[in-house]
Amino acid sequence: MRITAGVIATIGLYSVLWKENKFYRFFEHVFLGLAAGWTMVALWTETLKANWWDKMVGTPAETGAAATNGMFAYALLIPFGLMGYFVFSKKHNWISRIPIGIILGLWSGQQVQVWWNTYGPQIDATLKPILPTTWDSLIVPSTNGLTPEQLSQVQSQIYFSQAVNNFLFTLTVVSVLSYFLFSFEVKSKAVKGINTMGRYLLMIGFGAIFGSTVMMRFTLLIDRMHFIWIEWLRDGVFPMISGR
Amino acid sequence: MKGNLGEKLQSLPKPILYLILILATSIPLFFPTEVPNEPVESTKDFYATLMALPEGSKVLLMSDWTGSTRGESKGAFRSIFKILIRRKAKVAIYSAADPQAPRVAQDAINELNMERKRKNLPTFDRWNDWVNIGYFPNAEAAINGIANDLKGAFGGRKDFPPNSPPRDVFQSPVLQGVTKVEDFPLMLVITASKTSNFAVERVSGRTPLAFAVTGVMVPETQVFYQSKQIVGYCGGLKGVYDLEQLMESGVNFPDKATAKIKSDKLGTIEGFPDPDNKGQGTRYYPTLHYALALMIIMIILGNVGMFLAKRGDKS
Amino acid sequence: MIPLLQAQAPATSFWSEAFNSSELWTKLIITLIVGLVVMVGLLYAPIRARKPIVAFFTFISGAYWVLLYLWPKPIDRQPGEMPLNTVETVSFWLADSNNVVVSFTQILTGFLLGLGIFSLLKIHLTKISKGHKDAFFSIVLLASMGLMIWFGYADWFDRLGERGAMLDNRDNWGFTQYGRDFLFEGLLQQMDAAMFSVIAFYILSAAYRAFRVRSVEATILLSAALLVLLSLMGAVSFVWDENVKAIANGNPFILNFQLTEVAQWIRNTFQTSSIRGIQFGVGLGALAMGLRLWLSLEKPGSGS
Repeated sequence: MRITAGVIATIGLYSVLWKENKFYRFFEHVFLGLAAGWTMVALWTETLKANWWDKMVGTPAETGAAATNGMFAYALLIPFGLMGYFVFSKKHNWISRIPIGIILGLWSGQQVQVWWNTYGPQIDATLKPILPTTWDSLIVPSTNGLTPEQLSQVQSQIYFSQAVNNFLFTLTVVSVLSYFLFSFEVKSKAVKGINTMGRYLLMIGFGAIFGSTVMMRFTLLIDRMHFIWIEWLRDGVFPMISGR
Repeated sequence: MKGNLGEKLQSLPKPILYLILILATSIPLFFPTEVPNEPVESTKDFYATLMALPEGSKVLLMSDWTGSTRGESKGAFRSIFKILIRRKAKVAIYSAADPQAPRVAQDAINELNMERKRKNLPTFDRWNDWVNIGYFPNAEAAINGIANDLKGAFGGRKDFPPNSPPRDVFQSPVLQGVTKVEDFPLMLVITASKTSNFAVERVSGRTPLAFAVTGVMVPETQVFYQSKQIVGYCGGLKGVYDLEQLMESGVNFPDKATAKIKSDKLGTIEGFPDPDNKGQGTRYYPTLHYALALMIIMIILGNVGMFLAKRGDKS
Repeated sequence: MIPLLQAQAPATSFWSEAFNSSELWTKLIITLIVGLVVMVGLLYAPIRARKPIVAFFTFISGAYWVLLYLWPKPIDRQPGEMPLNTVETVSFWLADSNNVVVSFTQILTGFLLGLGIFSLLKIHLTKISKGHKDAFFSIVLLASMGLMIWFGYADWFDRLGERGAMLDNRDNWGFTQYGRDFLFEGLLQQMDAAMFSVIAFYILSAAYRAFRVRSVEATILLSAALLVLLSLMGAVSFVWDENVKAIANGNPFILNFQLTEVAQWIRNTFQTSSIRGIQFGVGLGALAMGLRLWLSLEKPGSGS
C-alpha cells in the first residue's frame, strides 16, 4: 500500500508535464503540507528540545549521567525569536530585522576566517611551476615497468607538457578572475583581451557543470522509473496478481 | 508541423520528447547489464581512504541528503555503509542541511540492517555501532560549532541504547573518548547541498575529509580535491558505480598485473567480491547511458535542424 | 567570564540553577517578562533609533567571530587551567563562548524557521475562512500537515521510553510507526524525489530547443558539455580507450588521446581552473558582502 501510494503521488506530480491540473495541485499541496509538518516535528525533536529547552530548564539525573542545571538566560531567546514575527506588522516590521540582523551578523563575522580557510590552500594549489625542469622528454614518459626509485624520479620532474598544462591552468584562473573583477568598462586592450579569453574559458567550466547537471537530473528520473516499473509493478503488482 | 526539414527537426512536440525520455529511462531497467567502466581517480582515492581506516575507527558522518536526491545519494550512502561495516567502523551521524535528513539516514540504515538480517549477517547496531545525533539548523554555524567545540556542540543530544530510554550520545561506544573533531580519523560528508563547502571551510586541515556528492556538485568538488582540501570524493551516479566496482575488485588487487582496476598512485587495496556489492549504481548506470545518449542525439538534432533551416533560408 | 556562557555548570550559581528548582523557574519567568517588556518597549522606539538598534545587534553578533579569529588562541589549554593574563582571559572566554554562540544561532534560526510555517498557516487559513476557490487545496495542505505533526510526535513519544531502539525494527511497530512511515517514507520522500526529477524533462526540452552553436562561446560550451557527457558513459569511454590503446601500441603520446585521458585533461586543466576562478570571484564578493552586512552598510541591516 505504501509503495502504491508513492507511485500514485509520483504520477500525480508528473501530470504537470502534460498541463497544470487538479490532480497535480492536490499532490502538490499534500507534499507541501507533509514537508511543513515534518519541519514542525523536527524543529522540536531534533533541535529546540536539546539545544534550547534542556539547556534552559536543565535535565534530571539518568543512567550514567548526572543532572544538569538550567540556565534561565536562554529564556531571552523567546522575545528575540518573537521579534521575527513582527515581519507581518505593517507598523513595526523593522523589529523583525533585529533577529535577522543577528543571524546576518553571525554569518558575516565568519567570512574573514572562511575566506582564508577555503581559498588559502586553493591559491597555494594554483601556484604551479610553469617552467620545465627537464628536457629529456617533452611528454611524461611511460611509467610501466619502472622501479619505485625510477618512478619517483619521473614524478619529481616537470616535463614540458606538464609545464604547458600548468601555464594553461594558471592562465585560466587569472583570466576568469579578471573577467569577474573587471566587469565594469575597461579601456586597457590587454585587460579586454584577457577578459574575452576568460569568457571563453569560463564556458568550459559551464559546459562541465551542464554535463554533471544532466547526469544528476537523469539519475533522479531513472530512480523514479525504477520505483514505478521495477519496485512497484514488477516486484509488487505482478507477483500479487500471479499469486506468487 | 509545417516548414522545411530543418524546421521540423527543431520542433518536435514536447509530449513526444517527454515520452522518448520516459522510454529511454524505463526500458533498459528491465534488462540489467554490466557495462565496462574505469573508476575515476577521485573515487579510487575515496575508496582507498575508507579501506585504510583501521578496524574499529570512529568516523564522523554528516548526512545531508533526503528523498529529493535518493537516486544518487542513497546509493552512495548504502555503499559507504557496506564498506564501513566491513571496516567495523563506529559512525557518528548528524545533519545540518535539512530537518528530514536524520530520519532519512536512520531509515536507510534500518533498511540495510533488515537486508543483513535476512541474509543472516550481523547487523550494524544503533548505539553500539552508530549514533544519530540529529539535526542542527544553520549549517554554517553548526559545522563551526562542531569544529571548535565538538563536546559542547553534541552535548545534550540523545540517542537510543538497546532496552533503555534515550541517553546522552557521549555515553555510547561510538563517542567514547571523543572530545574534538581531530579525534575522528575521517569525516565523511554525504550531501546534496552546500554543506560540503562549509565542511571544507571549517574542518579541512583538522581531520581528513571525504565527500559523496550529487552529480551537479562534481565540478566544484573537483576543485577541493585538486587542492588536496579533501582526500577523495564519490560524485554522482558514476561515482556510485565506481564505488561498487571498487568494492568488488579492489585496486591493484590481487596484484597489479592481473588487477581489473589499476592505479599507479595507490598500492594494493583489497576488494571483497560479493553479489551484495551491486546496488543502485549497477542498477541505474546502464540506463544512464541511454538517457545521456538521448540528450546528445537531441542536441545534435536541434543543431542539424538549425543548419538545414539556415541553408534553406539562403537558397 | 559571563557564567551564562558556560555550557554545563556542575554547581549552582546565579546564572544556573538546579533542574526543576523553584529558584530556576522564578528567574526564568522574570527573565521572560523582562525580555517581553524590552520587546514591547521597542514598539515605542523613535524612528531615528531604529537603524542604530539593528546595527548594534548585527555588529555585536559579527564581532564575536571576528574576535575569535583574530585574538591570540590559547596554546595547549588544559581542563581547569586558569588564565595567566588579560589576553589569555579573553581568549579563554572566547573559546568557552563558542558553543553558546553557535547554540544561540541555531535556536534563533529554529524560531525563524517557524516563521515560514506561520506564514503558510496564515495564508491557507485565510483562504479557507474566506471560502476562496482553492480552499479545498488549503484544507488538503493543512490536513497533511496536521497528520504529519500528529504521527511525527506520536512516534517520537513512543521512542522516548525503553522500547526506543526496538522501534527501529519493523517487527515491533504499531499503528503510529506504520502511520509515520507511510507519510514520511511512503509519500513525502517519494514526492520529494518526483519533484526534483521533473527537471530532467525540462532540461532535455531546453537543451534540444536552445543549445545551438550560434557563437564561439556556445560552441565551446557545447563541446565541453558533450565531452563530459561522453566521459560519463563508461561503456563509450571503454570502447574508445581500447581502440586508442590498440592504435598506440604502447606509444605514450598517442595514449593521451584516450577519452578518459582527454576528459581528465580538460577537467584538470580548464574545468577546475575556471571554476576556481569563479569561486575566487564569488569568495571575494562574499567577503565584501560580509563586511558590508556586519558594518550595516548594506540595506538589510540598516533598519531604514
